[in-house]
Amino acid sequence: MTKLNRRQTLGLMGAAAASGLAAPALAQNTRAVVGALSLTSHSGSFIALERGYFAQAGLDVELKFFQAAQPMAVAIASGDVDFGVTAISGGLLSLAQKGAVKVIGGALSEEAGIDGQKILASDAAFQAGLTSPAGLDGKRFGMTTAGSSFHYMGARIAGAEGVAPQFVPLQKVGAIVGALKSGQVDAWSIVPHIAKPLAGSGAVHIIGNVADYLPDYQVTTVFTSADNADNDRGLVETFLAGFGMGVADYNDTMVDRLNGDAAVDEMVQLIHKYVYTDRPLDKAAPSIINGSMRINRDAAINVASVRDQMTWMQAEGLVDRAITLETFLDTSYVETVGA
Amino acid sequence: MSDAARNGPREVRFRGGGFAPKARRGVGAAVFVVLILLVEWGTRAGVISALTLPRPSDVLATFVELWQSGLLFTHLGLSLSRLAVGAALGAGTGIAVGFAIGLFSYVRAGLVPLVAALFPIPKIALLPLFVIWFGIDEVSKYALIAFGTFTPTVVATYGAVDNVDRSLIRMGQSFGLSWLSITRKIVLPGAMPGILSGLRISLAIAIILLVAAEMLGAQYGIGAYILEAGSLYDLERLFAGVVILSLLGVLTSAAISWLERRLLRWRV
Repeated sequence: MTKLNRRQTLGLMGAAAASGLAAPALAQNTRAVVGALSLTSHSGSFIALERGYFAQAGLDVELKFFQAAQPMAVAIASGDVDFGVTAISGGLLSLAQKGAVKVIGGALSEEAGIDGQKILASDAAFQAGLTSPAGLDGKRFGMTTAGSSFHYMGARIAGAEGVAPQFVPLQKVGAIVGALKSGQVDAWSIVPHIAKPLAGSGAVHIIGNVADYLPDYQVTTVFTSADNADNDRGLVETFLAGFGMGVADYNDTMVDRLNGDAAVDEMVQLIHKYVYTDRPLDKAAPSIINGSMRINRDAAINVASVRDQMTWMQAEGLVDRAITLETFLDTSYVETVGA
Repeated sequence: MSDAARNGPREVRFRGGGFAPKARRGVGAAVFVVLILLVEWGTRAGVISALTLPRPSDVLATFVELWQSGLLFTHLGLSLSRLAVGAALGAGTGIAVGFAIGLFSYVRAGLVPLVAALFPIPKIALLPLFVIWFGIDEVSKYALIAFGTFTPTVVATYGAVDNVDRSLIRMGQSFGLSWLSITRKIVLPGAMPGILSGLRISLAIAIILLVAAEMLGAQYGIGAYILEAGSLYDLERLFAGVVILSLLGVLTSAAISWLERRLLRWRV
């Protein structure tokens, strides 16, 4: 056995340390918990995990599922979850103001030419003349909670038409669907993979597109804890790299249909592991395909739309007027659109 | 020779004082004040982050704002009417059914298993069903609160009827009192302490269910206010709402204490 003297040993240790430093930060396998909802709009995370893009980027990802966006935001604030994708809500803004979370990128967007979120009317209201959003005056518009994306969409649509509906909080998407079917609320707006099957059943009618009122609406955003965003750039960049690859696959295959039908089927199978798991694949597939909306390439974010959502919530008194765009948006990670 | 004979008669201290609780004025308030001051100091000094707890003075400011905007009375008025109607329906039928179970063997045999089956059902889980049955307006809220207060009231009432002193009933029978007379003059007053302590629990449950009842379709109400604050992560409003619920609890408890003093005067 060769004997090393002290100087040689030190030299070897130095070399080992140097090679460790020289390796790109991306290659180190760090763990991250990613929050998700069982919706097609979260496909970026599913694909990046299933196809090993997170692992390629050097991230050992564990998915954690939530029933709603709000608990996910709170879990990020508490440090149980590192990254999440969800709609901008009053709760998210308040948590950002308290220095807990930060939006670092964009995800689901409305885009002209691609089937986006639909405005729905219940059958009873439709028969009584609610055939376009202009007739919403005094009608009952369903939403989960005050300050949710449904509240924002409904208010902006009503504002554009110069009408004033009542907003009825029903907490859960399932409850709104039930209330809409039984005619207890008159109208609602929702992503196409929920809207189309509802309209197909005849209990509900599509009376407009959200994109006509809110073009380029930044529906969901990518966010993380303020601590990660400010102090752990490596981790955030690694996540966004893996997520971006997943999103690119999703857009190419599901939205732009560049890879043919076989690729669509394969991706539907992949997404079906996480979305509509309670239904057989052949029943889930149409809904998953119907739900394909553009997810921003490389998590680019539409700052103009985000600002509009923030100013609306401030004008409604839902969040503190002192919140500025900078307190909750960190634009240093991704490209910005419409700033 | 005995001790008493040697030392003369010895004075014996009264030792049977029991463990009766005595009134200690101000201690309860002091506990509240110390806790609130501790949180106020913690949030100001930064020991408690803004994410963990709101500052009590901000909660108070939020409450004052709510008062001045007049919305407090809109919220309170609606919530109180839901509580009053729901709890009156639930506790009223509960006491009636509980009495019937206590007095009639057939009713007992038929309804006790049913009540036992209904009791553990989380009423919140039935909320969607209530919406189909009663709609999203006031009726479903009344129904939820009524259903939630009904079962504990039934159980407390028939338990109280069972616990009425048997020897008093036998005495009434020996003296030839009619059935109605025995029920009215012996069973009803005898069961009253149990019924009232059962009501304390039922009304607290009614307040808990108020928040659940206002989950669906309520634009105003203390529960709706709390839920909205929760979804906006607005801790000041959340705590202002919670404090209102606590005060409601203290008030209903005080109201029952007053009833106890009036109805149970015979109990010396």
